[in-house]
Amino acid sequence: MSNINGKLYAMNAITPMKPWKTWILRVIFFLLWHIKSKQQDLINLSFIQFARWVIIPRNRFPSLSSGQKQETLTYDYLLFFSNFNGTWNQYIDAFSAVLSTGLNLIWRWSEKFPGSVPVTGFKEYIARIQFDTDYYYTAYPEATANDTKAAHIVQGALTTLATQAAAQTPEQFQAAYLQFLLAVQTHLGDTGDAPAVF
Amino acid sequence: MSKLNATDVQGFVLRGYNMPHARFCFLHFQNAAAGRHLVAQLLGSITTGQLWDNGKPQSTLNIAFTFKGLTALELPLATLISFPDEFQQGMKDRASILGDIGKNSPEHWDALWRGADIHAWVAIHALTPETLEAQFAQLNAIISATGNIHLLGSQDAAALVIDGKLSTKEHFGYTDGFGNPDYLGVCRNTQPGQGKLLPDGTWAPLATGELLLGYADEAGELPVAPVPHILAANGTFMVYRKLHENVGTFRAFLDEWGARYGAGDAAAKEKLASKFIGRWQDGTPIELSPDAPDPSIVADPNRNTDFKFGNDLSGSRCPVGAHVRRVHPRDAFGFNGKLVDRRRITRRGMPYGPQVDPTTPQDPATLDSTDRGVVFMALNASLSRQFEFVQQQWISYGNDAHLGNEKDLLLGTHLPGEKFSIQGDTNPANPPLFCANLPNFVELRGGDYFFLPSITALAMIAMELVDPR
Ligand code: HEM
Repeated sequence: MSNINGKLYAMNAITPMKPWKTWILRVIFFLLWHIKSKQQDLINLSFIQFARWVIIPRNRFPSLSSGQKQETLTYDYLLFFSNFNGTWNQYIDAFSAVLSTGLNLIWRWSEKFPGSVPVTGFKEYIARIQFDTDYYYTAYPEATANDTKAAHIVQGALTTLATQAAAQTPEQFQAAYLQFLLAVQTHLGDTGDAPAVF
Repeated sequence: MSKLNATDVQGFVLRGYNMPHARFCFLHFQNAAAGRHLVAQLLGSITTGQLWDNGKPQSTLNIAFTFKGLTALELPLATLISFPDEFQQGMKDRASILGDIGKNSPEHWDALWRGADIHAWVAIHALTPETLEAQFAQLNAIISATGNIHLLGSQDAAALVIDGKLSTKEHFGYTDGFGNPDYLGVCRNTQPGQGKLLPDGTWAPLATGELLLGYADEAGELPVAPVPHILAANGTFMVYRKLHENVGTFRAFLDEWGARYGAGDAAAKEKLASKFIGRWQDGTPIELSPDAPDPSIVADPNRNTDFKFGNDLSGSRCPVGAHVRRVHPRDAFGFNGKLVDRRRITRRGMPYGPQVDPTTPQDPATLDSTDRGVVFMALNASLSRQFEFVQQQWISYGNDAHLGNEKDLLLGTHLPGEKFSIQGDTNPANPPLFCANLPNFVELRGGDYFFLPSITALAMIAMELVDPR
């Protein structure tokens, strides 16, 4: 019953769009998907584990049983789902500071979107359209995306070092060990408790 | 931007006075009338931001209030509740956010910070001990004449004297006082490295609203501020932290790990010390000169703060966890520093306590127990977005720098099992080193959050004219 699990935060946001605007957004998604360089900024925000926008057309809402009556909806909906490390404020501040053009491109077709700059109005908007998480499973609540990626690098480098070691002279091993340290030296952060939320 | 009205801003906000002596007095108001009367009496003597084109004054006077102080002054409720939450709570109640745990937690603070509520900070800076005492005597006279004001205690601070000359050193031996942001309209000249990075790699002043309430900030809006606007405008928030330095622990640690670093000699030890902070003890940025100090860089304001970390992502010149890289990462997180611009603070700290006598050797325990350290004072428009963020996310945590839970070596409250990584390269004089068994070098002994109002706001407070509408 919380959006937070250890170092992770899950954000769900749903916004209504007038159906004719959905087509524009589809074109934009098509372009963003194919021009990988446009995704780079989002990918470079290292505290984001995952971020995805999905259009839910008004006639495609799931029907949970055959007895459920089909609703007549006026709007299409845009679902935004993201998992990130750090606080809600930190996340939206960063979005607003470095991704405003991209965000505006995606969200401006949603009703009442105020723009992602200035940040205060944007935060108020997110707070209104956000749905809290009912159940949040995460495998490594004490690790961030950076920690997990780092662990893979260290594991790989260690395996290589260990495999080579058997056939090495002490001098060769010493040199290999230094190379190993240099390869992992920026990936040795400890996992642990998340800082207090504020 | 509209021109800054410097005479309405307290001088302490707009510039570091660079005066060698200071006394910070902490007051308690018995009742609102007494508090208001005191503010009225001091109003004419408060040092403003007016330029000192005719030379420095002998001494300065400034004043700031805690939330409890503003409550004691009986500001209207609608005004009081419009102050930001973290200021209303005060620093003690933010301990878990700030990482002020264990020995640093409020129950271990000096008696002054555990006793009667501190309502006001009155700061005197002076050129000589005599002018300090003269200004203090005047303040005391006003306090006694006003009545119902308690001087709960005071904290002296003074520049350290090295080889007979005033210095900007602190007790561990590092030179301080280089890095501080420039703001639009505040500084006459800007210095590369002091403001925000532009996409073309040059530096520009930060928006005024990152420091002063009532001006546009880097997000293009007015900072969160109390009502009415006129009470907030030209004011700012200050964090005050008395940071005790365990000089004995610092020296022993440096001896121990210096012996295991590079050649293990005196030069290796000096280099290791520079890796902790990101500057050689003389102040040379190691990002610019990693192999040896370079006095010509230190002396040149166009170079001594002009560096970036983007070409040193491996940290082999300046470690990723070095103090200056943590607290001001510049371009280290990419995006031309855009993730950093709204996390800047203006520092106004000074050393306190007796200087370590270099001629008489002292044992580490005595060096540690002597009451000395840094009176850390920092100004910002938002305590939570700026100071608290830096303290929590960058000093007591490391994810933004890809350091997991690693903390600032000298400032972190270390728990058993923690380590500090110093990245290196294949040069035998610059090897990687991972320090373990980290002691606590710095301890928090007290402090709080203060509101430093404009001159207009002080007058409104004194005359009971604060009207929240
Ligand atoms: C006893 C405590 C501390 C000591 C001994 C210390 C020491 C230093 C030193 C030697 C420098 C380099 C000189 C300079 O750039 O001016 C520095 C810079 C700085 N420190 Fe600290 N510091 C302490 C506490 C803090 C705290 C608590 C914070 C923030 C929460 C902080 C934030 C900064 C900032 C922002 C800079 C400027 C970095 C730049 O612009 O490059 N310091 N400190």
